[in-house]
Amino acid sequence: MADNFLKTSRLDQFLETLRLFGELHAPTILESGVVSFAPLDDPTQLHLDYRRTQIPPKKYLLPFREEILHCHGGNYREGQSDAGDTVLFGIHSCDLEGIAYLDRVFMADAADPSYAARRARLTLVGVSCEPDDFCFCPEGMQSTSCDLFLNACADGFHLAGYSAKGQALLSAAAHLLETGEPVPPPALSAVCRAPEDPELRFSDHPLWQKYASTCVSCGACSVCCPTCYCFDVREYPVLSGGGTRIREWDNCLFASHGEVSGANFRPDRLDRLRYRFLHKFCGFTPLQGVNSCVGCGRCKAVCPVGIDLRELTVAPEQVQP
Amino acid sequence: MREHRHSPHVPYAAQLIDRRDLSEDTSLFRIAPEASALAELASFVPGQFVQLSVPGAGEVPISPADLPAADGTLELCVRRVGHVTELLHKLKPGARLGLRGPFGCGFPLGDMAGRPVLLLAGGLGIAPLRSLLIHLLRQRDRYGDITLMYGAKQPRLMLFREELAALAAGGGMRLYLTVDFAPEQQEGDYSCAVGLLPDLLKGFRFDAAATYAALCGPPPLYRCLVADLERAGVAAERILLSLERRMRCGVGRCCHCAIGQKLCCMDGPVFRASDLKGIPEAL
Repeated sequence: MADNFLKTSRLDQFLETLRLFGELHAPTILESGVVSFAPLDDPTQLHLDYRRTQIPPKKYLLPFREEILHCHGGNYREGQSDAGDTVLFGIHSCDLEGIAYLDRVFMADAADPSYAARRARLTLVGVSCEPDDFCFCPEGMQSTSCDLFLNACADGFHLAGYSAKGQALLSAAAHLLETGEPVPPPALSAVCRAPEDPELRFSDHPLWQKYASTCVSCGACSVCCPTCYCFDVREYPVLSGGGTRIREWDNCLFASHGEVSGANFRPDRLDRLRYRFLHKFCGFTPLQGVNSCVGCGRCKAVCPVGIDLRELTVAPEQVQP
Repeated sequence: MREHRHSPHVPYAAQLIDRRDLSEDTSLFRIAPEASALAELASFVPGQFVQLSVPGAGEVPISPADLPAADGTLELCVRRVGHVTELLHKLKPGARLGLRGPFGCGFPLGDMAGRPVLLLAGGLGIAPLRSLLIHLLRQRDRYGDITLMYGAKQPRLMLFREELAALAAGGGMRLYLTVDFAPEQQEGDYSCAVGLLPDLLKGFRFDAAATYAALCGPPPLYRCLVADLERAGVAAERILLSLERRMRCGVGRCCHCAIGQKLCCMDGPVFRASDLKGIPEAL
């Protein structure tokens, strides 16, 4: 790793090299002030010293709304993905782990065709980060679920390739790299872990009542979660006959999520909150037992009533109901 | 595990062959899938479901009411209750449809072999159980006593009345019918009890230690019948429930059919009552 050192002064040139591998997207600040992954037309737009984007990079793999099928003359045909080669630069470890989790959901078994097509065209370049008050990723987490990772130090970055694509990126940028001092391991202090006693957490713990009394079911925590992937499927007719079937992000905090004809299996906010966190920490078939919380802190940062998921991970006697 | 001959999203083409109205809002649709779908559909186990597409309207999960016929056609019993089923009920024979599946886990036929089977159906819940019943009767020698208890709101809403009576007359099964109330007493009505399914079960003598019970009906039905069956001595492992959820994708990704940490489209729709213990939202 010590041989692949990129001086900060050469970052712009490095970004130009990345453009050889696809359209370059990176963290930028939108006019609205929101930090967002967006096309990087000009290196000065780069906002690498960011804490978290509002929407995680899952939007590159699962667009908010996507046409999956077109129907003409009674025959359904698959929608074609319009995604081109994209290099996503500057992703934090938590978001890389989020993508790794989505890969397990959508690439395992019979892969989801549109997800797989987008994933194949995506190059992931990670960067180390500084945690803030909202972060709670596992201690010392540095994701290797990427093609290339940039570990920041005082005057530059140490680069490590984790895939064939990553090695190709290193080769293409070889003329910009030099030997540097070995980087100290990243020091992250916060902790994210699954509740020690899921039985207690997901039963009738008073904490749930406390949450339910303030939650407004806005669903922001789920929208912003890098590992929330629920989707709804709908079909709209077209005037010339047939129809278009879309899928779009859905949200388990909405009352409609647990509906069936004549009943709702999660009618109360408490049910829906508990269900979401149960899923987050304990997983679904076939990922039962997998904790999919990556500690990015978005749910806490966006919650309008300040629900703090971390209360679930501390010892029960410390919880103030 | 999941095998798809083509993309899991894309329905096979299918055609509506004919329909038979069973009640004012429920009809039996015979559907012919395209030839390339037949190999997948031939693996159908009673209790599994298919995703039926009505072009321009959308897709609904339906549990076939019969085994696939020799010519590959399927019978789907559908109530007119939402956007997609409303449009389906307006279609004429020859209309183009789409079909994916079968999906999920059906009834554990291997485990049920050699044992008495008690089927308990409420309302439209008769549809998935009808395919199980037809399987049981076709392979009559493989199973013990077969009993169907079927409850409907009122006589005119009882589906497949004549057919069930004819099957019972054949001697292969015992049939008990009940209605919540009987406002009309028509000439030639079949004899049936007035009351709820649990009332029927109360007076029923059977070998509870050996019996497999298969249930399908509205959610309140499960809540009382599972407890009654367990009290009668049927182990929770042998109480089979076909649960209804809104499966959107059918292949375990959209999460619309989650039941606790399980997914109805993959772990179900047929569950053992023992697998659902401790899941508050299951029943």
